[in-house]
Amino acid sequence: MEFPSLSPEELIVDHPGDFRVHSDAYSSPAVFDLEMRRIFEGSWVYAAHESQIPEPGDFVTTRLGTQPVIVSRDASGQVHVLLNRCRHRASIVCRLSAGRAQQFVCPYHSWTYGLDGTLRQFAQKEGYPPDLDRSALALHRAPSVATYRGLIFARLSDEGESLEQRLGDARRYIDLWVERSPVGRIKVTRGAHRLTYAGNWKYQMENGVDGYHGNYVHSSFIRIAHRAGERKASSFTAVRETGGTIGLSHGDGLIERPYGGMAGQFDYAAAQHADYHRSLDETYGPARREDILSQRNILLFPNLFLFESHIRVIQPLSVSTTTVTMLPTMLEGVSDAMNVARLRSHERFFGPAGFGTPDDVEMFVNCENGMRGRAVPWVRLDRGLHREQAADGVLSGHSTDETPQRSAYRYWRALMRDGARGQQA
Amino acid sequence: MKLTPAAVESFLFREARLLDEGRLDEWLALFPEDCLYWLPILDDGGEMEPSIIYDDRSRLEERIFRLKETRAYAQEPPSRTQHNISNVEIVESSSDVTRVRCNLTLFEVRVGDASQPDLGQPQVLAGRCEYVLVGSAHLRIARKRVLLLTRDLPLGNLSFII
Repeated sequence: MEFPSLSPEELIVDHPGDFRVHSDAYSSPAVFDLEMRRIFEGSWVYAAHESQIPEPGDFVTTRLGTQPVIVSRDASGQVHVLLNRCRHRASIVCRLSAGRAQQFVCPYHSWTYGLDGTLRQFAQKEGYPPDLDRSALALHRAPSVATYRGLIFARLSDEGESLEQRLGDARRYIDLWVERSPVGRIKVTRGAHRLTYAGNWKYQMENGVDGYHGNYVHSSFIRIAHRAGERKASSFTAVRETGGTIGLSHGDGLIERPYGGMAGQFDYAAAQHADYHRSLDETYGPARREDILSQRNILLFPNLFLFESHIRVIQPLSVSTTTVTMLPTMLEGVSDAMNVARLRSHERFFGPAGFGTPDDVEMFVNCENGMRGRAVPWVRLDRGLHREQAADGVLSGHSTDETPQRSAYRYWRALMRDGARGQQA
Repeated sequence: MKLTPAAVESFLFREARLLDEGRLDEWLALFPEDCLYWLPILDDGGEMEPSIIYDDRSRLEERIFRLKETRAYAQEPPSRTQHNISNVEIVESSSDVTRVRCNLTLFEVRVGDASQPDLGQPQVLAGRCEYVLVGSAHLRIARKRVLLLTRDLPLGNLSFII
């Protein structure tokens, strides 16, 4: 495979007053392969939520980048991230998306693995030397697995920072997100919205923290909310002047709008329930409650978003195909009625038949199609570069500026250039 | 008076035709005030689980408003649909409530510049439909539940009426 004429480093132009990403970053299979190795296998990525595997024996299957893995909980309660590949002849050992098991048995020659990946037995063992070292034939375990507030992250490399170091300043925002529950615990539902689009994974990454598109792409939803008497169409324009965008280290970033502005638009139920507000006040106090209920779209680079109502996971399938999973959240410590209202509010905007998501996805596909116009090689992400503020390594911009996207691409470039070790530079 | 199989079939065929001809107001008028238009994700999930669609009458009105009155980019260009109804069975019937099952095969394509890979590519959706029809002379859909074959799998753009 021919690598593009530019090196990974040259695919990002980051100069005063000028920030661009080359089209090859979105459309070159060689760049995609390097992204999988350096970013999705070489750095911390989101794997699953603890509430999906609450009991010993519970498992879900997913991918770290394009590598198939099983996220399992063993008899002692420990979480493992195991490569879903038999050590014998490479067959997948688990074909289900989720379930409960005592062991994983390869369907091909019956090699049998424990929930921690240990090779327990294989058929017709006389065909191997009696002193065969079984410990070397466990399912490959991701060497780095760690959990923060219920979010399970994994890294296929054992080089680099701890998860705590990696999350850094983003922990404050994860904490606020989890504290939407008055007892500080969130579960995901069994059902999830899944959608596949014909486009690169980074369109979703960029758009989830994009405060610029709302008035246009979501004019349909704005009119629906206006019609329902919930919010005047003009207020969607006014709210642009509140809050802002934030770019953190490690490619993380967010768009943030204070309580009372846009907040609650996509979690309308939370905005309406007085009992819920009281229970948050009892646990956290009114000032913290307003901070908790601010609207935030939080990107944890490269594949995780925390939204008011759901966890969103980006799954790259190929350079031009991406699956997005939206897992609605249920708050522990609130009434069923509140959680049901949150779900109905979520479905209104999100998912493949929602009144918002399909219009976003349409833009991803539009960008993918337009990217074929190669006579123009560059994508601009320079909005607000001239008014961006920096303090203590945190960048802040207007709510419609491309500040978080730039932070994501700066980290993208560091990883693509140096791998996991580059992230500490 | 109990509905005949022919009357039920004719009602379902008309519903399909209203959708395929874009007669969305007439389709909406088939649903009474107290109704549910439901596309679940899980077979055994109720209101405590997310659905692809879980529309009461007011949400359903919004869905039609979105398609008719707003710029829904996921429908620019719009979808053409063809709803094929088969395997119609009356599961239970009384004088004013009729429970019906049928199969749906839905062909959908978005027209436009077909050199753009996502346009001009027909997709097929299959599903099992469960209807609760009320009334006799003037039939209404109190409940329409569609279990898509691909309900818990990655889906494409479902911004048309199924």
